[in-house]
Amino acid sequence: MEPRAAVIGGGIGGIQAALDLAEMGIEVLLVEKQPSIGGVMAQLDKTFPTNDCSI
Amino acid sequence: MLDAGRHPKIRILAYSEVEGLKGRDGNFEIKIRRKARYVKEDVCNACGMCVTKCPGRALDAFDMGLRKRTAIYLYFSQGIPAVMTIDPEHCIYFTKGRCRTCEKVCDKGAIDFEMKARVETYPVNAVILATGLDILDPSHLTHYGYGKLKNVITGLQYERLINATGPTGGHLERPSDGKLAKKVAYVQCVGSRDLNNCAYCSSVCCMYSIKDAMLAREHDPESDSYIFHTDLRNVGKWFQKYEKRAREEYGVNFIRGRVAQIEEDEECNPIVWYEDTRLQEVKALKVEMVVLATAATPAKGARGLARLLGVRTDPYGFIQTKPDEPADTSRPGIFACGFCKGPCDIPEAVSQASAAAERVAAFISQTAGV
Repeated sequence: MEPRAAVIGGGIGGIQAALDLAEMGIEVLLVEKQPSIGGVMAQLDKTFPTNDCSI
Repeated sequence: MLDAGRHPKIRILAYSEVEGLKGRDGNFEIKIRRKARYVKEDVCNACGMCVTKCPGRALDAFDMGLRKRTAIYLYFSQGIPAVMTIDPEHCIYFTKGRCRTCEKVCDKGAIDFEMKARVETYPVNAVILATGLDILDPSHLTHYGYGKLKNVITGLQYERLINATGPTGGHLERPSDGKLAKKVAYVQCVGSRDLNNCAYCSSVCCMYSIKDAMLAREHDPESDSYIFHTDLRNVGKWFQKYEKRAREEYGVNFIRGRVAQIEEDEECNPIVWYEDTRLQEVKALKVEMVVLATAATPAKGARGLARLLGVRTDPYGFIQTKPDEPADTSRPGIFACGFCKGPCDIPEAVSQASAAAERVAAFISQTAGV
């Protein structure tokens, strides 16, 4: 069986962890309770300290 | 977000919750409840025809209740998976037994009212908790008037107001009359650093309030911003410079003093009563809108999840991690990153996430010998 991990929460932390795991060859289940991933960061307009758009 | 949606090694299980975890030493079996969205994920293309015809209405949680959405809805426009979901509590068919309009107008045949929630189990070698945060509902802090005074909103509501994809198209239209708010007060430490609520510092409010004030000025150069703060905790790379920019280039007013009471006049303009600690005077300031920097807490349900997974939390419900291995929880094979283990900002959450992923890789190579 290929190595596999579950990431619980699909916000910015969960997405980053999932991408890093996947890049290391680990299969990822990204579990999110809301209808789609994005988390709180997706609700933000711009982010400090650069005022870049959040998504 | 898009990269995660496209990556062949990542499977997104959205609208799903963890129900249990069995096993040890890197041989776990995780039980996941896939909630019924009554829309087939592999068929729906989010064309939106159903949304134009749906008669059901509910407050839009993504927009922090500032507008209504239909009972069949897209959680947010860039979300992944980009598919509709039916909210059975507000769907006319589920509550009154007739309608099914969405089913009739869906050319794709994506609607499935018979869909049932199902529980799936998967073998996994490790788990990362990244359940994030929720904000404290400040209604019980009655001196701020939230819930009673229409033009007192939370920081997250402000984010939606000033967002071009938000309910007002990015205009700071205040809730009472839709008038553009030109004089805005930002109140810090609402529930944070408060022994009766959250004794800890939420750590992001000083910086996001400065950002909020700068954005207001960018939208309207005539606007005035006032930040009422305890002390400013702008600890991070370029953060001090950011505050200086707000003062000098954006003309943001900083007032050191906790707000004691918010009232309103007959035109619903909030009146902020505060003690100016520099002048040692009690003063009042009339503004057009107030934004409360409410405490950020562990996500609702995070404590229950921690119990289910057998990992320890601190008295506030944040996941406990080891001082020498900050991504490791109390249970081997379960790791944590981001706000679920304590207040942090986005760059910190991202680096913690990478650290947790590295710890998982190390754990898997030790236990599974991969």
